[in-house]
Amino acid sequence: MSARPSYPFSAIVGQTRLKRALLACAVCPGIGGVLARGQKGTAKSTAARALAALLPHIEVARGCAYSCAPRGPWCPDCTKRVARGETLETDWRPARLVELPVGATEDRVAGSLDLEAAIRQGRKVFSPGLLARANRGVLYADEVNLLPDHLVDALLCAASLGENVVEREGVSFRHPARIILVGTMNPEEGEIRPQLLDRFGLCVEVTAPLDLTERMEVLRHREAYDADPAGFAAGWAKAERALARAVVEARRALPLVRLPARLARRVVELCVEANAAGHRADIVLTRTARTLAALAGREDVRQSDLDEAAELVLIHRRRTSPPPPDEHPEPRNDERPDDDQKKQHEKPPEKTAKDPDDGRGESGPADARAGDDEGDLEDAPPQDAGDADGEAQTGASPSLETIFPVGAAFRVKPIVYRKDRLVRTGSGRRTRSRTSLKSGRYVKARQDPAATDPALDATLRAAAPHQRRRRELATPDGIAQDVAIVIRKADLRGRVREKRMGHFIIFVVDASGSMGAGKRMVETKGAVLSLLLEAYQKRDKVGLVAFRGEGAEVLLSPTGSVDLAYKLLEELPTGGKTPLVHGLSLGYEILARQLRRDPTSLPVLVVISDGRANVSLAGGKPLEEARECARVIADEPRIRPLVVDVEKAGMIRFGLAERLATDMGAQYFRIEDLRARDLVAALRRDVLSTGNDSR
Amino acid sequence: MKNHNFPYPFSAIVGQDLMKRALLLNVVNPRLGGVLIRGEKGTAKSTAVRALCGLLPEIDVAAGCPFSCDPTGADPAGDGLCAACLARAQAGTLESTRRRVRVVDLPVGATEDRVLGTLDMETTIKKGEKRFEPGILAEAHRGVLYVDEVNLLDDHIVDVLLDAAAMGVNTVEREGVSFSHPARFVLVGTMNPEEGELRPQLLDRFGLCVQVEGIADIDDRVEVVKRRAAYEENPAGFSEAWAGREREVAGRVERARALLPRVVFSDELLRLVAQIAVDMGVDGHRADLVMMKTAKTMAALDGRDAATRDDVARAAEMALPHRMRKKPFQNIGLDKTALADSMAHGGGKGLVR
Repeated sequence: MSARPSYPFSAIVGQTRLKRALLACAVCPGIGGVLARGQKGTAKSTAARALAALLPHIEVARGCAYSCAPRGPWCPDCTKRVARGETLETDWRPARLVELPVGATEDRVAGSLDLEAAIRQGRKVFSPGLLARANRGVLYADEVNLLPDHLVDALLCAASLGENVVEREGVSFRHPARIILVGTMNPEEGEIRPQLLDRFGLCVEVTAPLDLTERMEVLRHREAYDADPAGFAAGWAKAERALARAVVEARRALPLVRLPARLARRVVELCVEANAAGHRADIVLTRTARTLAALAGREDVRQSDLDEAAELVLIHRRRTSPPPPDEHPEPRNDERPDDDQKKQHEKPPEKTAKDPDDGRGESGPADARAGDDEGDLEDAPPQDAGDADGEAQTGASPSLETIFPVGAAFRVKPIVYRKDRLVRTGSGRRTRSRTSLKSGRYVKARQDPAATDPALDATLRAAAPHQRRRRELATPDGIAQDVAIVIRKADLRGRVREKRMGHFIIFVVDASGSMGAGKRMVETKGAVLSLLLEAYQKRDKVGLVAFRGEGAEVLLSPTGSVDLAYKLLEELPTGGKTPLVHGLSLGYEILARQLRRDPTSLPVLVVISDGRANVSLAGGKPLEEARECARVIADEPRIRPLVVDVEKAGMIRFGLAERLATDMGAQYFRIEDLRARDLVAALRRDVLSTGNDSR
Repeated sequence: MKNHNFPYPFSAIVGQDLMKRALLLNVVNPRLGGVLIRGEKGTAKSTAVRALCGLLPEIDVAAGCPFSCDPTGADPAGDGLCAACLARAQAGTLESTRRRVRVVDLPVGATEDRVLGTLDMETTIKKGEKRFEPGILAEAHRGVLYVDEVNLLDDHIVDVLLDAAAMGVNTVEREGVSFSHPARFVLVGTMNPEEGELRPQLLDRFGLCVQVEGIADIDDRVEVVKRRAAYEENPAGFSEAWAGREREVAGRVERARALLPRVVFSDELLRLVAQIAVDMGVDGHRADLVMMKTAKTMAALDGRDAATRDDVARAAEMALPHRMRKKPFQNIGLDKTALADSMAHGGGKGLVR
């Protein structure tokens, strides 16, 4: 309804690769869409939206809500018409660009029961959703990495079948849904799932140009557009028309474009080199190269076309790149937590983990993949820190800092809370919970006179038996004159929804000099990383607090970005004194704040320390302060604490961490009893035990 | 409640010039993209935003339109009419009223459906008719959307907010409703960084960012307390006493708004802006755009019809701090020496041409 014309595609300065990728998709839908990844404010969304004006016309069955092609596949309506022997009349209209907003609900994406028809006519009619609108067109998802998981599932399902199958709320319906996905994302906000990534034919990394003249041009254009959008668009209309024509011509020419045998071989070589999974890369690469040739008005593919196409096709399919690692499909049923056998079948380390040679026995071979930061890591021999251990005790060398590498990461078995009855408002992918937000899977209906989130099917069922009597009672001035079904307050049913939610885990890590001994920091970092990787996939919120030297700092405010967490973890220096109480109180503060925001969350506090403390927060004895803080934490039953004792083996044990754990009411583990992998198991056990008593 | 009728006058706020200026700039030019005010508790952040009400200009809106459509269509960069207003315009029954630009609150606990808008259940059930019930984003169209404690906002609310703020359109596809309406607003947020940081993506959506601190000067502090006491004792009288000053500021804003379209921004300054953005290593183009717009608005607010290097420098101080972070966990702030270097550097180049 907005009369404001969108920014013209041809007026976008620079970003050649992104524009080429989008144009290629407009010419050849078979390429399968574009994912634009990049910094904020780099015309990603502008370009994607501007594509709408350049999409060529398609022939559709007249009046069909699903844009059926004249020769099929057909939606149920068109199928009926064809079966009756009707010839489908057709119209030509531009293919659509349909936007998928982040806040969309599943019923609007897949389609659902038509409210109006149900109430006014008492008929069960399917109301088509965005997937129907986008059939044979483009479905555009801005911030595609922020879409809730159940929407991504619906998208993936439709994209792979080319069909949308709806079985919900008493509706059973299927219709063709051949969609081109165009998405934009800022990787800072978290990655997208690999399955979804693979659905995008092309991928472009977008950055702002550093060239001053180009930047000035961007400024001039934007200012002109902001001042008078319509006038600006008019000024570019000619260029837009030319571009649209080029797309149509390229589409016509595409079937004639040939790929020489020599280059066909090269296609396969490129895909093998990139170690791309499956054959999709080969197919998409061929199509893209042909399309680029067609856009250039040629009938033969050249090496240059292939090179350009390879950059767009292989960037997100190369399989030697860092996280996220390949993902387990989410187990649909609650997995048995105490299934120890499975644990032993866990694969050794991820390929993706940067694996320094001094990782533990279970780390993979330290090969060339270890990366360019290997050099820095080598500069930090752990012995130095080992020496610092004793000194740090007395605080003699607080300035000595060492950066230890991150130990090997490993796959973590799913940590899942038992489902309880609390209604929550979070999001994520770990534990199923009732949710009061109007999103998530609709699991059942219950009587709800307020009906802020009404379940129409259940409401209608509840109202049905009373219809005859209510019709008789209806007064002439009643509200029920022109509706087929009279609904009373008592009939109203609300939806009970369920969705998976993440947890809130804060790691409080001792990064003082003593942690350097025996590569404990390497091990600790490895464990934290493993949990981070898993937590990221489950959309847990994870925070990292480190304490060393004179105080504690929040390295990572609770976030979902594992890349950042990894970087910070990698860079976390070790050295100096041990301000334990600072760490504990900071960790507690973060969790307490979270509990104030959302009293139903079950936060987990993981303290990794040897229990020593030699810096005071309030002027008292450091150790006493720490114990006092631990008791405060114990008093908050919703926080689940876990203490991992990293006191060095072989020396006289002080047992400080154990005492701290007792004060805190925390589970307690010694590091030598645990390899890094067992730390994860410990956390899992702890979390599971909380699941049992958390109602 | 009585204070609601007499908000604390904007001109009576002691000190905090940077914050006041950033707010005024946004009143003069709503396209700057709002302002994020960072600072400790009790530094007049919220007071200043509330006080803004009195300075906001009047606009024409379609009578009874939940989306505050502009019935005049005078603004070439405007958004046109919503379906209902369009129908009324065609029937010749579109009526226009004038009202002040609104400041709409987005409470931290707001639900997604309340923010985006939702299905009007009563109409649906009673009449069997789907009707869209507009939410906070509709209310905020052509106004100011104010989020107190913006860093405590739930993640999914931030997502939908970003979506709308980026496009100036709210697209709703929920619960059987498919609707879209313009939602162009000045986003004003306040936060206390001690309570946690904002996601970089949301930070970037705020055109400007200013840091406020408690006032150190003893005399000024005394003045703060005195004025506050006077206000609390008699809000009406206090407002009355400051009415003259308020009118002065409002008049200045009004003149600046009229002057703004005519403010010249030379190529040399354009180059300077681009140079600063490159030197300071910001993401994307938004920083460049905001610096340019802010510098122009700055000139207009000072009653000049051409922006100067000084305007650019002052604009950079507000447009860059929250865009400088390479890592989201680094402290927010601006390296002033680097900026000065860049200014010298960029200026030199500009002069050569």
